[in-house]
Amino acid sequence: MANVTLSQIKKKYGNTPVIHGVDIEAADGEFVVLVGPSGCGKSTLLRMIAGLETISSGTLTIGNRVVNDLDPKDRDIAMVFQNYALYPHMTVETNMGFSLEHRGGSKSQIAERVKWAAEILDLSNLLMRYPRQLSGGQRQRVAMGRAIVRDPQVFLFDEPLSNLDAKLRVAMRAEIKNLHRKLKTTTIYVTHDQVEAMTMADKIVVMNAGEVSQVGAPLDLYDRPANRFVAGFIGSPSMNFIDGVVENGRFTAPGIDLKIPSFTAGETSRQLICGIRPEHLVIGGEGISAEVSLVEPMGSETQVTFSLPENTIVGVFRDRIAAKPGDVLSLGVQTDGCHFFDPLTDLRVE
Amino acid sequence: MKIDMSIRTRTMLYGLMCVLLIPFVFPTWWMVTSSVKPISDIFAFPPDFLPRTYEWSTYQRVFELQPFAQQYWNSGYIAAIVTAGTMIVSSLAGYAFARIRFPGADAIFMVVLLGLLIPAEVTIVPLFQMFNQWGMINTHWPLILVPVFGAPSVFSTFIMRQFFIALPIELEEAARVDGLGRFTIFRKIALPLAKPALSAVAIFTFLHSWNLFLEPIVFISTPEMFTLPQALTQFTDAYGGAMWNIQLAAATLTALPVLIVFIVAQKQFVEGLAHTGLKG
Repeated sequence: MANVTLSQIKKKYGNTPVIHGVDIEAADGEFVVLVGPSGCGKSTLLRMIAGLETISSGTLTIGNRVVNDLDPKDRDIAMVFQNYALYPHMTVETNMGFSLEHRGGSKSQIAERVKWAAEILDLSNLLMRYPRQLSGGQRQRVAMGRAIVRDPQVFLFDEPLSNLDAKLRVAMRAEIKNLHRKLKTTTIYVTHDQVEAMTMADKIVVMNAGEVSQVGAPLDLYDRPANRFVAGFIGSPSMNFIDGVVENGRFTAPGIDLKIPSFTAGETSRQLICGIRPEHLVIGGEGISAEVSLVEPMGSETQVTFSLPENTIVGVFRDRIAAKPGDVLSLGVQTDGCHFFDPLTDLRVE
Repeated sequence: MKIDMSIRTRTMLYGLMCVLLIPFVFPTWWMVTSSVKPISDIFAFPPDFLPRTYEWSTYQRVFELQPFAQQYWNSGYIAAIVTAGTMIVSSLAGYAFARIRFPGADAIFMVVLLGLLIPAEVTIVPLFQMFNQWGMINTHWPLILVPVFGAPSVFSTFIMRQFFIALPIELEEAARVDGLGRFTIFRKIALPLAKPALSAVAIFTFLHSWNLFLEPIVFISTPEMFTLPQALTQFTDAYGGAMWNIQLAAATLTALPVLIVFIVAQKQFVEGLAHTGLKG
């Protein structure tokens, strides 16, 4: 196990910069999730940590050892790929023991490690099968087995659950988390799924366009997003954003007049963006008068889309809602449910 | 109703295939049956479906008139070496062109591919001069070196390159993380997975070498050194007339390994072409 430190890491393809100076610290045994939309550079960053992409500038340290110029094999990392990358011509057992075999492990040592990993991942009765004879979930477990069998300092996961169906994804999420709890190996996990990030991470790194937007614990990111991008990315459905004016402790916009206790009454007029999470809207409160345009009952909750004179907002309610499209409802916002962002910088305003 | 249509369509398709089969099967049938007919019956009209009398002695005569066993061995061992050599050269070159980014890789590959556009007849004279200078005329070296480093190998390299390009890069990346170097990745990961393409290359190359005709008649001059296609031209009487039944017996013996290779490796052949995206 080891800590991983990325210091001012940059990546260019020719003259095109794709990673613009990233600083990340993964402490020993920590589960760090890199999350962001497609093309934000999270997989590139992971591949740079693995040694599969060169680092244009900056310093990458694994366990206090600068590894910028080391081959992947010398970094003492193991990686689980999105499509599993199991060797099709080898059995599960050979796949799992392959790296040890290549590194000169004795037969008994390899057999022992493979047996240990297979027991942890419930693969003992699949060892003689070929990857083509396994289901998606089983392949995923074999890919993890191949990673843990070597007892590396760092695990790298590149969107490992994206090829699985929704139900299996939830199960495998728990399995990976359990595995981490057992092994306590430093893990860097890439996903574009914010639910995966929120449920698995000790620390989330939100990336956007080759830069780190915010680093923090999952609930910190949810409760105090540092900018509009993070606010919109974390949480599902996404946060509602409304352009308006804050003045004298009130936020006003067409159809909205909300009292903002967090802002002092003497605040001068200021143009801001108000962000309200759908689950923080309350039916029957004060401040928003909106017309229902769509009601989507989900069973456990109801998602309602409202029309405002200049905006559309979404609310999620635990109760079943009897409203129909065209009804006008009064809505309020839970205490501390409003987040404010500067319209010029998109940064959070306290 | 649907089933009736399907049966009718299937019957029509099978009927069509039977008709299309005739031009392919008839020459083989004619060759095999004529090889045991007396020479006077071969061109009888209408032709007999089966020989009226069987003259098995034609097969014996094949071995009496020519050192046919030696020629069989020549063709066999040359085809085996050419096949093995081409598999090695084309898999290495194909992998390099597919996976290793070196300066001018695409341009070099284009130059290599251009080799396919030059007919063998164009290069045969310079090749003769070159092998003559090297003292390799009337040896089997030209029949080995030309296919292994010439156009047949280029075609095989192309097949292998197409296969390796289609191989998921993550497999090699996983192998790199597992601690393998470039050549070990090629040997332990890429090559075992390239079996279908290698089979196609092996079959192509074997057939090409086995059937090679122009090069042997240019480079080889003594019957003991002949390969089979060249030997087939030698079954003539004192006046240069063809000894049809004996020649066809020799042709049947020559075609036999090709048929066996094709029947045994048919599946790999089709799979290999499918994997490399070359299927028609």
